Amino acid sequence: MKKKFVSIAALAATTALALSACAGGGSSASSSSAAPATDKSANAGKSITLWLAGGDTSDELREYLKTTFNEKTGATLKIEEQAWGDLVAKATTAMSNADTTPDVVEVGNTQSPTFTYAGAFADISDMYDELGGDKLLQSFVEVGSVDGKKYTLPYYFGSRYAFYRKDVWKEAGITEVPKTLDEFNTTVKTIAEKNPRDIKDFSGFFLGGQDWRDGISWIFANGGDLAKKEGDQWVSTLSDENSLKGLAQLQDLYKNASNAPNDAKDSNQYIFLNDSDAVVDAAGEVTSKTKLNAATIMAPGWAHWSIGDLKKVDGKDTRVWNDDVFGTFVLPGNDGKPAPVFAGGSNIGVSAKSKEPGLARELMKIIFSADYQKKLGGAGLGPANSDYVSSLGDDQFAKALIESASNSKLTPAAPGWATVEANSVMEEFFSKIRDASDLAALAKEYDDKITPMLNAQ
Amino acid sequence: MMSVDAPASPAPEAAPPTAGATPIRRRRRSLTPWLLIAPALVIIIAAMGYPIFWQLKTSFQKYGLKQQFNPDLPPDFVGFDNYVKVLTNPDFLAVLGRSILFCFLAAFITVILGFLLALLMKRVGKVARLILQIALLLAWAMPVAASMTVWVWLVDWRNGVLNYLLGRLGLDVENHNWLADPTTFFVIALIIVIWAAVPFVALSIYAGLSQISEEVLEAAQMDGATGWQRTRYITLPLIAPVLSIVLLLQIVWDLRVFTQIKFLQDAGGVANATDLLGTYIYKMGVGSADFGSAAAVSVIMLLLTVALSWYYVRSIMKEED
Amino acid sequence: MSATTSARRSSAGSASPVRKPKVSTGRRVSGWLWTLLAVAIALCWIFPVYWMVNSSFLSTLTLQRSTPTWLPFGGSLENFRNVFADGSFVKALSISLGVTLLTVAVAIVVAFLGALAISRFRFKGRRSFILAMLLIQMLPAEGMFIAQFKMMASWGLVNNILGLTLLYAAAVIPFTLWMLRGFVAGVPAELEEAAMVDGLSRTQAFLRITFPLLAPGLVASAVYAFLQAWNEFTIALVVMQDNDMRTLPLWLRGLVQASATRETDWGLVMAGSTMVAVPVIIFFMIVQSKMSSGLVGGAVKG
Repeated sequence: MKKKFVSIAALAATTALALSACAGGGSSASSSSAAPATDKSANAGKSITLWLAGGDTSDELREYLKTTFNEKTGATLKIEEQAWGDLVAKATTAMSNADTTPDVVEVGNTQSPTFTYAGAFADISDMYDELGGDKLLQSFVEVGSVDGKKYTLPYYFGSRYAFYRKDVWKEAGITEVPKTLDEFNTTVKTIAEKNPRDIKDFSGFFLGGQDWRDGISWIFANGGDLAKKEGDQWVSTLSDENSLKGLAQLQDLYKNASNAPNDAKDSNQYIFLNDSDAVVDAAGEVTSKTKLNAATIMAPGWAHWSIGDLKKVDGKDTRVWNDDVFGTFVLPGNDGKPAPVFAGGSNIGVSAKSKEPGLARELMKIIFSADYQKKLGGAGLGPANSDYVSSLGDDQFAKALIESASNSKLTPAAPGWATVEANSVMEEFFSKIRDASDLAALAKEYDDKITPMLNAQ
Repeated sequence: MMSVDAPASPAPEAAPPTAGATPIRRRRRSLTPWLLIAPALVIIIAAMGYPIFWQLKTSFQKYGLKQQFNPDLPPDFVGFDNYVKVLTNPDFLAVLGRSILFCFLAAFITVILGFLLALLMKRVGKVARLILQIALLLAWAMPVAASMTVWVWLVDWRNGVLNYLLGRLGLDVENHNWLADPTTFFVIALIIVIWAAVPFVALSIYAGLSQISEEVLEAAQMDGATGWQRTRYITLPLIAPVLSIVLLLQIVWDLRVFTQIKFLQDAGGVANATDLLGTYIYKMGVGSADFGSAAAVSVIMLLLTVALSWYYVRSIMKEED
Repeated sequence: MSATTSARRSSAGSASPVRKPKVSTGRRVSGWLWTLLAVAIALCWIFPVYWMVNSSFLSTLTLQRSTPTWLPFGGSLENFRNVFADGSFVKALSISLGVTLLTVAVAIVVAFLGALAISRFRFKGRRSFILAMLLIQMLPAEGMFIAQFKMMASWGLVNNILGLTLLYAAAVIPFTLWMLRGFVAGVPAELEEAAMVDGLSRTQAFLRITFPLLAPGLVASAVYAFLQAWNEFTIALVVMQDNDMRTLPLWLRGLVQASATRETDWGLVMAGSTMVAVPVIIFFMIVQSKMSSGLVGGAVKG
C-alpha cells in the first residue's frame, strides 16, 4: 500500500516536473524536489538518453555512468556519441521536440551560450549548490548562465600548453624553456631560422593560419580580449590597443617562426611534431627524410596521447611518449604568470524538452559526484569541480594542464558567439593576419563584422 | 505545384492522335492515368509538400533558434526582409557568382569529356572499351563519403600522392598545399566533381551513340565525309537530345554541389572564401541559426536553377506536345 | 525504337561487319594510339579506387612514409579485422541495405506506373506533371532538413527505416520516372495490341512482350536509385539520430571523426571506405551485363 502511494506520488511529481518544463519552454523555474526519481520500481522500464560530444569520455567512464545510474534509479541510461562536427545540426533538430530530444546533452563550452539563450536547456539553478556550486569552474558556469540562472554546468576542461622537441631545440642551441612570452617569441624565431635539420618548410613554432584558438593567447597575454559587454550589448574588441599588440606579435610569428599552411586549423597539430617516417638503416641512422615539420606546437593537453615514437604495442601502431625527445611547458606570460590560454572543454545540461527531467537530474548528480569527478581526472580530463583537480595526478601533463588552466580564458559568453564560430569568422580573420599590411584596419573590419553577430539571437 | 483541373471539363484535345512514331493511347477520359501517377504524387507530396511549404513560409519570417525551441513563440512575419538582407549582402553575391561559374565549368567540362570518352569507346576495340567501361563503372560506384576520404588524402600537402607525382615530374611542389588558396581549392573540387560525374555522362552518351545506325555513317563515309564531318553533321544532331538532358542534369546537380565542398572544407581551405551555395545555406541555417535567411537563399537558388535551365526545360516541354 | 534495341546490340558488339576493306597501316597505328589512350584514361579514372583498396591493406606506419607504397606487398587484413571488430559496421550495413533496397523497390514500381501514364496516355495535367517532375529535381535540399525533421518527428518516423525510405523515394522518383518514360515510349503500343489480337490478355501481353523490352530501363533506373540512396548523407544525419540506426555514410564519417583527438588511422578509414563501396560494386556486377545497353535510352527520349 505504501509502496503504491509512493509511486503515485512519483508519477505526480514527475508529471508536474514535465509540465513545468514544457510550459516554460526552458525559462521555467524547475520543480522543488527531485527525490521521487530514485524510486527504482517505478523507473524500471524507463530510460533516458545522454549525448556525449566526441570520444573524449572513455568507455570506462561510460560504463560507470550506465551502471551507477541503473543502480541508483532503476532506469536505463542510453549513451549516444555525437561527432563534434554534427553536434549543432543534430541538437538544433532533436532538442526542439519532446519525442526526439536527448535528456542530458554535452555541448562545447563555446557553443553553450547560443543554446542556453535560445531556451534549449532547463533551468537547474536549484541544484547548482548541490552539484558543486562555487567549486565549479566559474568561467564555464558563466557561459552556461543567462541572467544569473544556471542552465548548463562545466563537464570537463582541457587546457592548452606547448609541446616541443627537446632534440631539435638542443640542436638549435637552446636548452632552457622560455620564462616570458617575449622570450618564447624570440626563441621560436631563432629555431626556425637555424632550422638545424634543414627541413623544408620547417616551423620553429607551428601555428596554423586559421588556428585562432591557440593564437588568441597572444591577444589575451597583452591585455586584449575578443569582446566585451557594454550595457546589454556585446562589442567585438579586436582593434583595441592591447589586442592589436598581440596581433602584431602573432604576425611576427606567422612571418618568422611558423611555416604552417595558411589554412591549417586547430586540429592534429601534433602530427607535425612527430617523426612520421621511421625508416632507419642498419646503423640506426634515419635514411629517408622525416616528416617532422615543427619544433614546437601548442595543443590541448590530451594531445600527449598522440605524441611520441611510433611503436608496435599489442600489434597496433601506437605513439609512445619519449622524455628524451619530447617535452612540455606552459606558455609563459610577461607578468610571471602563465599566459592566458583558451580553455577547452564542454558544458552539460538537461534538455528543456526532456520527458524525464527527474531522471535527467539524477544523472547530473552522478556526473557531479566525487566519484565521477575523480574518474574524469584519472582519465586526464580536467574535472569541473576544483576539489578533485588533484585526481589528474602529478605527472608533467597533469602539472602543465593544471598550471595552464589556472589562467585560462573562455570565448565571450555572448548569445551569438556560436554564430561567429559556425561561420568561421575567426578562422578567416586569422588567416589574413600574416599578409596584412594594415593590421588595425583588418581588425576594425572584423570588429564591424563580429559585433552584430554577437548580439543576434 | 501542378494545376489539377476538374476532370469534368471537356477534354481539349479531341483531335485524332497525331501520327507519331509511338501513338499514344487515348481512350475516353479515363481515370487510369491518374491512378497510375497517384502513387508518385502521394509519395512526393507526403515527403516534400510540408518542407517546401515550410521553406516558403519561413523565408518570410524571422526564424532563429529561439523560435525553433519555443513552439509557443510564433515567429514574426518580416515580409521580404530576409530576401533584401541576403541580396544586399556582398558575401552572398560573391558566393552566388562563384557557384554559377563553378556550375557551368563543371557541367560543360563534364559533358564535353563524357562525349569525347563516348566517342573513344566507339572508336576502340572490344577489350579496350571494356576496360574503360569497367574503370568508369567502378569510379561511379564509389560512395561519395568513401571517394572524398580518398581524394582528401591524395591531395594532402605532406603525404599526398599528387605532390609526390608532381615532384617526380620535376615540379617544385613539395609541401604545397592546394587547398589553402581558393583558386586551387576550386580546381581540386572541379577535378573531383568532374571525375565523379563523367562516368554517368559518358555511359549515357555512349548508349545514345549506339543507337545511331551504322548504315547512315557508312553512307556518309562513302560520300566522302571526313570523320569530323560525320561527327559534326550526323552524330551530334542525332544525340543532341541526350546531350541536352545530360547537360541539364549536370547544371542542376552542380549548382547544388554540397558534399564534395563540405569534405574539402573539413580538410582545409579558408572556409568563407570556398563556400558555394550549398555550404552557404547549410552554414546559414545550422551555423548561424538564421533559418529565415537560409530559406530565402534556398528559394533564390531554386529560382536561379529554373532560370539557368529554362531554355532546356522549355525545349523539353515543347517536345511533349 | 525498340526494334533497334536488339539490332543495336548485335551491331554494337562487332563494330561494323559490313566494312571490311583494306585497313591502312596508318589507320592501324592510330587504332593502337586510341586503344592506348583509352587504357590511360581508364587508369586515371580508376586510380582513386585502386588507392583506397591498396591503402586498406597497409599499416599506418607504411602509409606515413614519404614515398608512397604502390602495391600492398607485406600488407595485412588487420584493418579489415578492425572494421568488423565492434559490430557497428554490420549494423550500419543492414540499415543501409534495408533503406536502399526498399527505396529502389518503391521508386521503381511507382516511377514505372507514372512513366506508363505519361507515355501511354494524354490527360489533363500531364504537362504540369512532367514539369513538376523536372522542377523537383531543382529543389535545394540543404535548407529543408529542419522541416523534414519536424515532419518526421510529428509522424514518429525519426530513427525509422520507413521514414528515411519515404524521403529517399520521393527524392529519386522524379528522375527515375523521367528515365523510364523513355523506355516505355520506346516500346510501341502496337506490339502489345498485336499480341492481344493473338489472344493474349492485356496483362499477359504486357508481361510477355513489353516487360522484357523494358528490363534494361528498369535496371538503369534501379542503379540510379541505388546509388542515390546508398550515398545520401545529409538527410540521414538529421533523421537517423540514434547511433544504432546509422547508415553506412554516417558510420564512415564516424570512423574518420572518432579519431579526431588521435592521429587519423588512414589504413582503417580506407578499409572502411572499401567496405562501403563493396556492396555497390557487387550490385553493379550483378546488373553490369544489362548496364551499358540499359543506361541508355532513359535519358534519350523516346
